[in-house]
Amino acid sequence: MSGIPHDHYEPKTGGEKWLHARLPVLGLLYDTLFIPTPKNLNWMWIWGIVLAFCLVLQIATGIVLVMHYTPHVDYAFASVEHIVRDVNGGHMLRYLHANGASLFFFAVYIHIFRGLYYGSYKAPREVTWIVGMLIYLLMMATGFMGYVLPWGQMSFWGATVITGLFGAIPLIGEPIQTWLLGGPAVDNATLNRFFSLHYLLPFVIAGLVIVHIWAFHSTGNNNPTGVEVRRGSKAEAEKDTLPFWPYFVIKDLFGLAVVLLIFFAVVGFMPNYLGHPDNYIEANPLATPAHIVPEWYFLPFYAILRAFTADVWVVMFASWITGGIITAKFFGVLAMFGAIAVMALVPWLDTSSVRSGRYRPMFKWWFALLVVDFIVLMWCGAMPAEPPYSTISLIGATYWFAYFLVILPLLGVIEKPKAPPATIEEDFDAHYAPHTGGTETIVKPAE
Amino acid sequence: MIRKTTLSVSALALLIGLGGLPAVAQQATTTDEPRTEIPPAAATEAPAAEAETTTEDAPAATIEEAPAAEAEATTEDAPAATTEEAPAAEAEATTEEAPAAEAEATTEEAPAAEAEATTEEAPAAEAEATTEEEPAADAEATTGQETGDSVVTAGEEPSAEAEDGPDAIDAAGEEVGPAAEENTVETEAVAPEAGEAAEAEHTEIEGDTAEEEHAAGGHGETHTTDVDFSFEGPFGAYDQFQLQRGLQIYTEVCSACHGLRYVPIRTIGDEGGPGMPEDQVRAYAANFEVYDDELEDFRPATPGDHFPGSALENAPDLSLMAKARAGFHGPYGLGINQFVNGIGGPEHIYSILTGYTGRTREQAGTTFYENTAFDGGWIAMAPPLAGEDVEFADGHANDLSHEAEDVAAFLMWAAEPKMMARKQAGFTGVIFLGILAVLLYLTNKRIWYPHKHRTKRD
Repeated sequence: MSGIPHDHYEPKTGGEKWLHARLPVLGLLYDTLFIPTPKNLNWMWIWGIVLAFCLVLQIATGIVLVMHYTPHVDYAFASVEHIVRDVNGGHMLRYLHANGASLFFFAVYIHIFRGLYYGSYKAPREVTWIVGMLIYLLMMATGFMGYVLPWGQMSFWGATVITGLFGAIPLIGEPIQTWLLGGPAVDNATLNRFFSLHYLLPFVIAGLVIVHIWAFHSTGNNNPTGVEVRRGSKAEAEKDTLPFWPYFVIKDLFGLAVVLLIFFAVVGFMPNYLGHPDNYIEANPLATPAHIVPEWYFLPFYAILRAFTADVWVVMFASWITGGIITAKFFGVLAMFGAIAVMALVPWLDTSSVRSGRYRPMFKWWFALLVVDFIVLMWCGAMPAEPPYSTISLIGATYWFAYFLVILPLLGVIEKPKAPPATIEEDFDAHYAPHTGGTETIVKPAE
Repeated sequence: MIRKTTLSVSALALLIGLGGLPAVAQQATTTDEPRTEIPPAAATEAPAAEAETTTEDAPAATIEEAPAAEAEATTEDAPAATTEEAPAAEAEATTEEAPAAEAEATTEEAPAAEAEATTEEAPAAEAEATTEEEPAADAEATTGQETGDSVVTAGEEPSAEAEDGPDAIDAAGEEVGPAAEENTVETEAVAPEAGEAAEAEHTEIEGDTAEEEHAAGGHGETHTTDVDFSFEGPFGAYDQFQLQRGLQIYTEVCSACHGLRYVPIRTIGDEGGPGMPEDQVRAYAANFEVYDDELEDFRPATPGDHFPGSALENAPDLSLMAKARAGFHGPYGLGINQFVNGIGGPEHIYSILTGYTGRTREQAGTTFYENTAFDGGWIAMAPPLAGEDVEFADGHANDLSHEAEDVAAFLMWAAEPKMMARKQAGFTGVIFLGILAVLLYLTNKRIWYPHKHRTKRD
């Protein structure tokens, strides 16, 4: 499947040959499982497996939860309590599902930032990146709608605020909002369609995950050096790679076990830590909570949404130039979606000739600042929209856009990158020095 | 290679450690730390009969201090002090109770650390702008005067008590303990310009820490006392008898207004819950009447029914209250202290129950009570517990603090009935994943070994 030369599946027994002639499914499995993988992958490459596990976990627990859940405004909240109190193991299912969403997003953010650091988005892996961004968008939609289902106060008001964003679109906004909600306000129709979509979208995600894997299996994995696997011959490729099974499967499973250990500690000992207490109050359209806060994984983008208030000059300028069509609220919506859009466009915004951030001395610092920026925005998103948080949000949002739109394009021109190793083998050997005639060669590790 | 391995091992240890960290930290801190807090502004008032102009309406300016009539009981950094209230005596002409503020040592080690100053107010006929106050230094609260009395109990560390306590007790109105600058329990006389019997007492407990955190009780800043509940930490478990006591308080006091509509009555017989015997569960259920759709009439409840909902429209259902409130938010709203203290739902309930200052105010025909734990500072619920509201069959202490703790624990169970099973599952999961991780680590090391330690071929 991949462009890296390797052994292909040869059916041996009669049965295998029979099946292979009709459906080459075993060949597909073989090629997937034994795909040559750069042997220098570090621990940042385990998150793909964690994410795959999360998807399975969420679908498995979700399907059972649906068996006991009632998508109706009068019964939804009570049915969740019924699951927790009356259904066998229901409390664990429910907490696994709720915290599973957090693990899912935690893993996806590390996965995304790993891609940003090691240049995994660069040619020829743009499609992998774009598909990944689509998965991320769908995850956000699914996570958001899932949070509405328990029909607590934050469910209801979160839904009101987020769907209200669509209402900010000029002219067509309100019809779109009504169409999304199934009525003039968040109500039973909204709950029902969110429930339906929350069940549907994970399967769309599953489909896209297959495309995502297919895409990077076609190009081959990126690796910490950003240097491509040599493809001249099978012998050459084998110096740079090891088959996925068992080397990376076992490694990834080890990583997964450690991550799950922490996950189980959270689920077992502090399952409500990441949730909001207000969601244990049944939705009440007449009582607005003091602070409407989305789930933690939306907070950075929520902060960007709220950063652009009417007194920011960019907003005023945009409003003036469009004759008032772009309001502060609409600008905020554009900024929020724009923040994700610039991330999706990063393959074409990064002009550097070197792929991996490991060999880019200036980039490293800007990237570190981006990570800090992300965390600061997350914090600001949880705070009330008032000074000093609004100012910090604005600075953070500005840096987010500046990183993708200004810094990355310029860095490729300004920066003088270090020379990456010629081959993956060289990088690997620098870490794990091969013996020469019994005496250990002392090679200083690159890191 | 060795270096790399050590690194991986330590990374693993770190990761595993991280998993256990919150747990351990939680365990450690909750057990080590007694309730460290000083009530911010525990003020008691004795609203008397014909107080037309209530002190709540009057700004602080109208409250005149009578320094001569000031009794100051000094407390030194009292880490184990919490405020509680106990209605001390009935005001003369009204049936309203005059709640008294009581800062009590909550740790068992410092039972002697109580300094009580009973203050007595002179009839307010002469109280135009000044009231006389004669704090009597007594060991036990001698209440029951015609006018509102207030009992100020300052809990201290034994050492602090030794130094300051006697001074404070000696203080007979004009005398003040020498160490009074640290934390002072002031009893000031306040005289609103009301008629004959108009008198009010304003007891204030000040402290450095309290001042830092909240200048006033009613300005958004709320105060939550960290209670050392038995169910905290990864191995914490509900105390069955505490839950039973809490159930009794709920039944005898709370259920008059509040409901538990998501809680099936049968669950009070559950293991890991109150664990009542089956016959008692059935007898308990029969106390409630539920509407039966099939009978189209009311009938006595059975264990299969849920607790009734709230009897009063504005009394929130308590089924999930212990999870619907967060007592701890800091620092900087990050909620990181929840790792250590827990989210603080039951602590919030405890703090509400013990956080009444005794001040009230009327607004649009409703009486609001000042409460240091309540968001906004003024709560519509009258102080539900005063101490000694219920008699426990097992003879357990039934003072306000213990009652509040018991009912808070019960409500935590009501909100999270499967906590013990959940912790068990979490613990099992962590243990098995730990074993799995070790095995996978060794497997991984073994299969990579030839590639990381090969001899150079070319």
